Amino acid sequence: MNSLALFDTSPKALVKFVPPPFGGLVRTALDHVRHGRFQRSLSLMVAATSAVSALEVGYEHYRGSYSNPVMYTPVVLSGALAVASFAAVFSRRAAQTWMRWLSWITLLDGVVGFGFHIRGIRRKPGGWRMPVTNLVMGPPLFAPLLFGTSAYLGVLASYLQREEDSETGSYVLDALAVGRELTGRDDWRNDIRVGRFQKHFCIVVAAYTVCVGAESWYSHYKNNFAYRVQWSPILLTPLLSGAALGSLKSERVANTLLPAASALAMVDGVVGTYFHVRGILRKPGGRTKPLYNTLYGPPIFAPMLFAAAGMLGMMAYLVRRERSR
Amino acid sequence: MNWPHSKSPLGGAFEEPEHDGMHRLGPMQRISIPRRRFRDEDVVDYVIVGVGSAGGVLLQRLARAGFDVVGFEAGPFWDTERDWVSDEAGSHNLYWNDLRIIGGKDPLALGSNNSGKGVGGGSVHWAAFTPRFHPSDFEVYTRDGVGADWPIDYEDIEPYYELLEQEMPVAGPAWYPWGKPHGHPYAPHPMGAVGDALITGCTRLGIGVSAGGPVAILSASRGDRPHCIYRGFCIQACKVGAKASTLITHVPDALKHGAEIRDTSMVSRIEIGKDGRATGVHYFDAEGREHFQRARCVIVSGYAIETPRLLLNSACPGHERGLANSSGTLGKYLMAQAGNVILGRFEELIRMYKAPPAHALTEEFYETDPTRDFARGFAIQTVGPLPIAFAKQMMAAKGQWGWGLRRSMMDYNHWAAFGLLGEILPWADNTVELATGANEKDRFGLPVARVSFNLHENDKRLIEFGKNKTMDVMRAAGAVEVVQEQRFAHLVGAARMGKSPHDSVCDKFGRTWDVDNLFVMDGSVMPTQGSANPGLTIQSLAARTADYLISNHSAIQSGAKRSLEEPGIRKTLSPPGTFRSGIPHLR
Repeated sequence: MNSLALFDTSPKALVKFVPPPFGGLVRTALDHVRHGRFQRSLSLMVAATSAVSALEVGYEHYRGSYSNPVMYTPVVLSGALAVASFAAVFSRRAAQTWMRWLSWITLLDGVVGFGFHIRGIRRKPGGWRMPVTNLVMGPPLFAPLLFGTSAYLGVLASYLQREEDSETGSYVLDALAVGRELTGRDDWRNDIRVGRFQKHFCIVVAAYTVCVGAESWYSHYKNNFAYRVQWSPILLTPLLSGAALGSLKSERVANTLLPAASALAMVDGVVGTYFHVRGILRKPGGRTKPLYNTLYGPPIFAPMLFAAAGMLGMMAYLVRRERSR
Repeated sequence: MNWPHSKSPLGGAFEEPEHDGMHRLGPMQRISIPRRRFRDEDVVDYVIVGVGSAGGVLLQRLARAGFDVVGFEAGPFWDTERDWVSDEAGSHNLYWNDLRIIGGKDPLALGSNNSGKGVGGGSVHWAAFTPRFHPSDFEVYTRDGVGADWPIDYEDIEPYYELLEQEMPVAGPAWYPWGKPHGHPYAPHPMGAVGDALITGCTRLGIGVSAGGPVAILSASRGDRPHCIYRGFCIQACKVGAKASTLITHVPDALKHGAEIRDTSMVSRIEIGKDGRATGVHYFDAEGREHFQRARCVIVSGYAIETPRLLLNSACPGHERGLANSSGTLGKYLMAQAGNVILGRFEELIRMYKAPPAHALTEEFYETDPTRDFARGFAIQTVGPLPIAFAKQMMAAKGQWGWGLRRSMMDYNHWAAFGLLGEILPWADNTVELATGANEKDRFGLPVARVSFNLHENDKRLIEFGKNKTMDVMRAAGAVEVVQEQRFAHLVGAARMGKSPHDSVCDKFGRTWDVDNLFVMDGSVMPTQGSANPGLTIQSLAARTADYLISNHSAIQSGAKRSLEEPGIRKTLSPPGTFRSGIPHLR
């Protein structure tokens, strides 16, 4: 406990302030997260985010008319991943097989898509010589990487322990872990299994935030930042990614700035969603053209992507740091 | 780099296209144009006169099926990077600007955006609106007692609509409610401010409206064609390669399969042999020398004015009134659509040039409505006149001149324009004839066309009603000042198809009743025209006729009795890449 700190803001210390009716519940949940025993709940989250990803990539690629058959792959994959991760909520085996491999494939698909999006911008008139125009008009550059987020979480979830493992007190239930116990190897997968991946996760949070911030910058640039509130995600981006990077060095930052910035990002995402829905309803035709205006109005799920950055940051705040090796 | 005084553009200059001997169609597509393949004395399977909307599709289909085809085109073979400019005045060479005589009580303005000259024809400078005809269009006479019935039904042409929508491809909403509801293979386009105004106006009046299509402009790239970048120069020929024209969709594939296009070759006369069958065509080359190309079958695809003109100019013993004119209907029943432009001034900026002219429409008033005092109906569409067109419209609409006109033109960015597209019925006194004056000849000494046009009572009522309705929509959208100019669009008819040889020029596949190896296939075969832009229907009819020609090839070549069954659609003849992309949609 650092004497310079006003008070301890680590999750462990803060959980004491939760009022009685919820206290026990929250303490249990935190204990699960900190020891990597939340495979079921994370799988449920992966199922939800994959379903949203499938919907979003479905309509964004519809906007691109599926002019290249490869554009179907993310729709199909994230749909499949949503099903697999929902199954993983109920089945350990599904989590360690279907969800794990579909997550890896989907993640790879996101990287491949990133390449296709770079190519798409290059092929536009003027290519990379008119970066701003073609970023705004062309395929969204970082979208495929952002799309990979739920897959990344799926990979993560597949290596966790399940909630009920806390009762058994044993964590040798993963075939991988059994192998490790026998060979004595101890790698990153084991860190994830026991909930010690804060630094690794902070890198992801920082990268994700930069991508989502860039997306929001050039998308908002499209309409000249007509509303001042459109600057909020752009201003929060360096704050959150800075906090995440700072957390690599200092546990103090991870316990103070990181949760604060994450909370702001989550609030900003909710506010943004309200504005985006309002923007869709304000378009010509309003609610008489729901599909068309959702297609070409402000992207309805985009602010949620920013809120997801906050949520990931919050998760990074909750898990434990890697052991020093 | 001594910026900001540097002369070179920021980021460096764009390279000149290198001279590689290739012919460019848009920024990414290159083709090599084969030299002459057939000699005049070769008897080719098919000669197609006019490589435009219909001619391009026919050429591609017949070449793919393995026939020897020559397409004659009076205009040039465009190299889009060298020959086209994104400039209103500079694009006038796309039109058929030769002498034509106009007459009648309501003469049509010709020599502008209503007929093309050059490979691709009118599809080079159409706005690319591609609505389908409605089922009711094929039986206007049966339903309303006016106009004429088609010899075919909507069901006969529907599969070809679907196929051509894939081939162009057409962008539009996933659910298009009018006529027979259907979807589109490419997603709708984002709206420009004119489309926004149309949607706002229609929504406030409770009128259904289609956003973002149907229009044959890519909303996403396809193969070597980039998607639309919303510069608004569709009617000046799309240098981007996003707007479909047969020049870039079908002609490259036709050349690849061995078709020949003989450009700057003006066909002057179709030769009829002793047995009453066509034996070939006489044509003038670029230097004005006359040649004769032998052929087993001739297809005329020269559009509603040049097709009847060529057939009339081909009069010969046995066909004194003009070729294929035993019924006397050749050159009659010419139609144009009412194309009034309604302009509205808005307080906020509109900037009509941003977005393709064609990107939203409503067909709510398409069908006959018994509560109105006229038959048939109209559509309301976005149009995006550029400054010169806008100046002409303001001159016509407000009678402005001089300083007043300049004031209006400075205001250009505040105006939006809607186009009425009203169905004008076929009347026998709207005709294409040969001009008889001594000076009324073209540079080859051929008599030019004389086009007479008169509006009738039903047409005038329809225009009046449609004009007022469009103005209402414009006001509902928030325009503070609304004016209008009367004009016409889309010439079709004058060599109509029909069920009997007594009241039509050709049968339902375009074969002329009088000469059994002479076909007509273009906009001129339409008995009625609906209030839909005819481009998609012209190309669909051409694809259907191509299937028919392939099915009945030997009978047509020999003059034997042929079957009049529907040929059945061939999906193997589409250009490459047709079925690889696009949204699988519900019919």
